[in-house]
Amino acid sequence: MKIERLIPDEQVMEAVKNGELQQASILFDRYNKRIFNFFRQLSNDTMLSEDLTQNVFLRMIKYRNTYREGNRFQSWIYQMARNVFADHYQANKNKANHIEVEKMSNQLFEDEEYDEEREQRLHSSLSRLSDEQRELLVLTRFQHLKYEEVAEMMNTTVANIKVKVHRAIGKLREFYFELENR
Amino acid sequence: MEKEKRESLLIDYIEGNLKDADRALIENEMEQNAGTKKQYHQLKEVMGLLNQTHHIELSHSLQSNFEKLLQQEMASNKKTSKQISITPWVLRIAAVLVLVFVGAVIMDRFIEKQEHEKEVAAIKKELNDNKKLMMALLQNQQSASQRLQGAMVAYEMNNSDDDIVNALVTTMNEDTNSNVRLSALEALGKFYRQNHVRSALIKSLSTQKDPVVQMALIRMLVKMKEKEVVTQLEKMTHDDSVIKAVKDEAHWGILRLI
Repeated sequence: MKIERLIPDEQVMEAVKNGELQQASILFDRYNKRIFNFFRQLSNDTMLSEDLTQNVFLRMIKYRNTYREGNRFQSWIYQMARNVFADHYQANKNKANHIEVEKMSNQLFEDEEYDEEREQRLHSSLSRLSDEQRELLVLTRFQHLKYEEVAEMMNTTVANIKVKVHRAIGKLREFYFELENR
Repeated sequence: MEKEKRESLLIDYIEGNLKDADRALIENEMEQNAGTKKQYHQLKEVMGLLNQTHHIELSHSLQSNFEKLLQQEMASNKKTSKQISITPWVLRIAAVLVLVFVGAVIMDRFIEKQEHEKEVAAIKKELNDNKKLMMALLQNQQSASQRLQGAMVAYEMNNSDDDIVNALVTTMNEDTNSNVRLSALEALGKFYRQNHVRSALIKSLSTQKDPVVQMALIRMLVKMKEKEVVTQLEKMTHDDSVIKAVKDEAHWGILRLI
């Protein structure tokens, strides 16, 4: 086991901030797949997700001085990812401001060749949620971020996030079984 | 039980987050209510699917692009820090002081230049105003006293230009009034250091017919120590058309100049 694997994210980021830019590779290795999947789960666009992922790591290097000591690195980089995603959709507001259900389910399985009916229905249901609900589920369920981290990112309380996540799951259940009964 | 609260308790129950009392409450609810039981199963399926969702792998280009980007940033960072490190703070302060000093000198020169330009502009304006007045007076053919006044304005002027000199020379040679001609000569005398004034005065000596002006002119040229006019003065001493008083003045002039 490489010793660098034992170094906490925060310590690595501090080193990057202090000029040891090469250390940024460690953070890239740890997070690129997660950030890419975060974008992919939100947009269901593989090419776009790669571009946006690159953008996140570019920002991580460019704005390394904005990382505050003691802050959780994971929250910081996901916040940056959320900003990148928001910026992208703001810039392309007229082109695509929502995710089409058909596109979502079709593309996903073209990429993956994963022909599981239930998962297809799940993603179709996800696409019917509001942007906020979808993002909350992506962060907390797919990305496994803690409610505390998401609350910190969204500048709200843990209790509020929990209520919102539970409502989103409830809504997802409704959509999912609506599709099953068709 | 309210629908939202029930659903929330079910989610926590599935995730194992409930305390004993709440767990007992929701288990009891499920036993009593078939709808709740159904809801539980549905939530369990959906949440199970959410947890199963797999991640896909990225293309290798993302990794290589990141490495490229990182190398560029490292290179530019190196350049920036190098520039900073070769300039000690003492040198930076010195550079600032030099800049301040140079700035002050430039500013001073600038102000001085501006003041000088203002002065020049004022002189030019004065000259222009006086010139207009003088010309208007000298050209007044109806009044000798006005033309005399014009010559006196010229005499009071501290500077002259070609227009003024030419106007005074014309007045000195051609004006019908001898007092005006004499006044024009006196005004020209003020600017005798200018070459074209000197040559105009020398030329006028050979053409001037007014004895009063001739004598005043000879005195002025002698005063100017203008040796070029000696030959001309000799001619005048032998010229029968020149009156005796002028011939005596010319002779006196030759003696002073040779």
